[in-house]
Amino acid sequence: MDLWQLLLTLALAGSSDAFSGSEPTAAILSRASWSLQSVNPGLKTNSSKEPKFTKCRSPERETFSCHWTDAVHHGSKSLGPIQLFYTRRNIQGQTQEWKECPDYVSAGENSCYFNSSFTSVWIPYCIKLTSNGDTVDGKCFSVDEIVQPDPPIALNWTLLNVSLTGIHADIQVRWEAPPNADIQKGWMVLEYELQYKEVNETKWKMMDPILSTSVPVYSLKVDKEYEVRVRSKRRNSRNYGEFSEVLYVTLPQMNQFTCEEDFYFPWLLIIIFGIFGLTVMLFVFLFSKQQRIKMLILPPVPVPKIKGINPDLLKEGKLEEVNAILAIHDSYKPEFHSDDSWVEFIELDIDEPDEKNEGSDTDRLLSSDHQKSHSNLGVKDGDSGRTSCYEPDILETDFNANNIHEGTSEVAQPQRLKGEADLLCLDQKNQNKSPYHDACPATQQPSVIQAEKNKPQPLPTDGAESTHQAAHIQLSNPSSLANIDFYAQVSDITPAGSVVLSPGQKNKAGMSQCDMHLEMVSLCQEDFIMDNAYFCEADAKKCIPVAPHIKVESHIEPSFNQEDIYITTESLTTTAGRPGTTEHIPGSEMPVPDYTSIHIVQSPQGLILNATALPLPGKEFLSSCGYVSTDQLNKIMP
Amino acid sequence: MNIKGSPWKAGSLLLLLVSNLLLCQNVAPLPICPGGAARCQVTLRDLFDRAVVLSHYIHNLSSEMFSEFDKRYTHGRGFITRAINSCHTSSLPTPEDKEQAQQMNQKDFLSLIVSILRSWNEPLYHLVTEVRGMEEAPEAILSKAVEIEEQTKRLLEGMELIVSQVHPETKENEIYPVWTGLPSLQMADEESRLSAYYNLLHCLRRDSHKIDNYLKLLKCRIIHNNNC
Repeated sequence: MDLWQLLLTLALAGSSDAFSGSEPTAAILSRASWSLQSVNPGLKTNSSKEPKFTKCRSPERETFSCHWTDAVHHGSKSLGPIQLFYTRRNIQGQTQEWKECPDYVSAGENSCYFNSSFTSVWIPYCIKLTSNGDTVDGKCFSVDEIVQPDPPIALNWTLLNVSLTGIHADIQVRWEAPPNADIQKGWMVLEYELQYKEVNETKWKMMDPILSTSVPVYSLKVDKEYEVRVRSKRRNSRNYGEFSEVLYVTLPQMNQFTCEEDFYFPWLLIIIFGIFGLTVMLFVFLFSKQQRIKMLILPPVPVPKIKGINPDLLKEGKLEEVNAILAIHDSYKPEFHSDDSWVEFIELDIDEPDEKNEGSDTDRLLSSDHQKSHSNLGVKDGDSGRTSCYEPDILETDFNANNIHEGTSEVAQPQRLKGEADLLCLDQKNQNKSPYHDACPATQQPSVIQAEKNKPQPLPTDGAESTHQAAHIQLSNPSSLANIDFYAQVSDITPAGSVVLSPGQKNKAGMSQCDMHLEMVSLCQEDFIMDNAYFCEADAKKCIPVAPHIKVESHIEPSFNQEDIYITTESLTTTAGRPGTTEHIPGSEMPVPDYTSIHIVQSPQGLILNATALPLPGKEFLSSCGYVSTDQLNKIMP
Repeated sequence: MNIKGSPWKAGSLLLLLVSNLLLCQNVAPLPICPGGAARCQVTLRDLFDRAVVLSHYIHNLSSEMFSEFDKRYTHGRGFITRAINSCHTSSLPTPEDKEQAQQMNQKDFLSLIVSILRSWNEPLYHLVTEVRGMEEAPEAILSKAVEIEEQTKRLLEGMELIVSQVHPETKENEIYPVWTGLPSLQMADEESRLSAYYNLLHCLRRDSHKIDNYLKLLKCRIIHNNNC
């Protein structure tokens, strides 16, 4: 019953002039059409299908056509000829009259074709299907909504390249736009979608939409046959057109002997497993007990040390053990600074005589090594403004001035000064000798020297007792040769608290312990020439074919029997060999030391230095770093 | 062919030439940048390319905005019937199909596009304001409306630049259809208000499509000489 009511209202509405554009009637009409469409399914109960629109389509936005289903006559009621009416709103926005379809033929059966003169793109249309004057279907649309482009034509493909293995190939597929779409004038802008698959596959592979009419397809298998198809659509809409004809692609087989299957060398797996295996092996080697392999892979970095000596030992200052251990070494040659003729006294701070009783000597030495010595040097040394050893003139004059007229305490000053200067000079000289030093591995630390500085006060040494210590010191520190510039080798410490420094002549000599034996003779002569009258007792010993090692171990502790005067146990003779264990024979070939021990202080007469008194012919003491040998001093002094 | 001995042929050739000139003057492409090189910092080709890109973008946004609005508020409620109302730009003589577009001369075409763009400035502004003021303002629609408003302004500037390059002698024609639909957007009745929105968005979609189409036509005509 609803249907009849609707049809009645429609008939009433249609009979009037409502189509001139009044809104309510148009609305009613449209509503009626819509309701008809919704009601249509219900009409099937009458076992007769009403014709309805199937599709309206415009391929190029210039024409369009609409199709409908044919009426199926089951029922008794026979429908009359079906007619299509359309209307469109003109520019002024008014709905015009219904007009009949201009062309029922061109688009086929049950269709209506609107050519370009009837097509307006942005003007909405409404069409209706009538049978015997009864509207059976209606639809409203605008042409843009029903645009569906034709499929592209003229598909073809060309071979781009073939892979090296001959298994895969790339092709370029080209086509042309559908001819009725006006691309040239820009009326339609199309984009295309390509699909391809192998012949015996079922699922198509899709590519992204493109705007151009050719596209490369990569990685097709050579021995397979492919199908390619393209479809187009307008850029703005979502309606794709029909697919083009299928293009069959058969790639030519280049190589008869291509692999049947894809084989790719599993490089990635090999690399991963290789790295993994190597890592496992490495860890096995590292953590295994096989020291040999471990040494092979990771050779231990040699640290400087003497075999059998614990560096910590040295730090702790256990001098006795150190000396004992050192004596084991073959290359160890104790310095018999007990002769004391070559040792130099350095006066340290005397303000605190209590210090000598505090703790052990070695501890004191170690703890307050540089600070005290240097500070003392600085304190006592009123020559802070003095020049370095590079200006020996000034130093000499100062020496002369102070040495003669000042007292005992002052004596130390020039000595100290010289020591300082000598330190500086020694540094320089050491540098010259550096190649020698490298020959021997530094087996002990420089602190050994400092260990010897037990007392802050310079003490005359007992040559016999203290040389060994000096020797210890000297020999024990071949590596410190380079440090001699800052440190003086303390050979012994007198009970009074003064430190006996062994001259750094060894460094001058450039001979380390290990080379001592070998280079005895040669170095003796070298250094003899190098420097003016100074040579260390070590060098002196070197010149002696027999190195008196005997007394090294026996006298570990310095026995400071001497009084607080700078007296060396060495003989006063300058040229003669010294008495005592050292058996120094300072011949004419004595090496020159940096430090010279003061043999006798004869203030105000001056100093008599030991041993060194080698008359270096033709060489003034002035050229030295400020040390005056006893001989030279004797020359100066009356 | 021997010209000397065929005055007929020469004459017919000349006649052909003159007739071509007379008939085809409408579609003869104007020289690019007749205003002189000083005014052509950006080539006309680039200007057109940019304009087409903008118009395409605006049309996409309008379509999306319309479908979202329809889906959200008015789907299946028969609004489409009411929306076949006249848009405020219907008074402009816009070509409705290809032939009409081709027959329109270049200068008028450009002026028409500019008029349409100008006439949409105010409706877009009000659309944004009203949508923003709505309860539970739909963010998707609002953002698109804002974007469309901005891009339309840019497109208008570009079009004016094109016009100044292609037709420097054109006088500024400020006449454009005025939109009066603001009261309908603010109506209390929800049905009427939704109908007004629907209509506005429908018209916007259509006009943006027109502008996009016209520009593509003009681009192919002016730049590529009908051979895109």
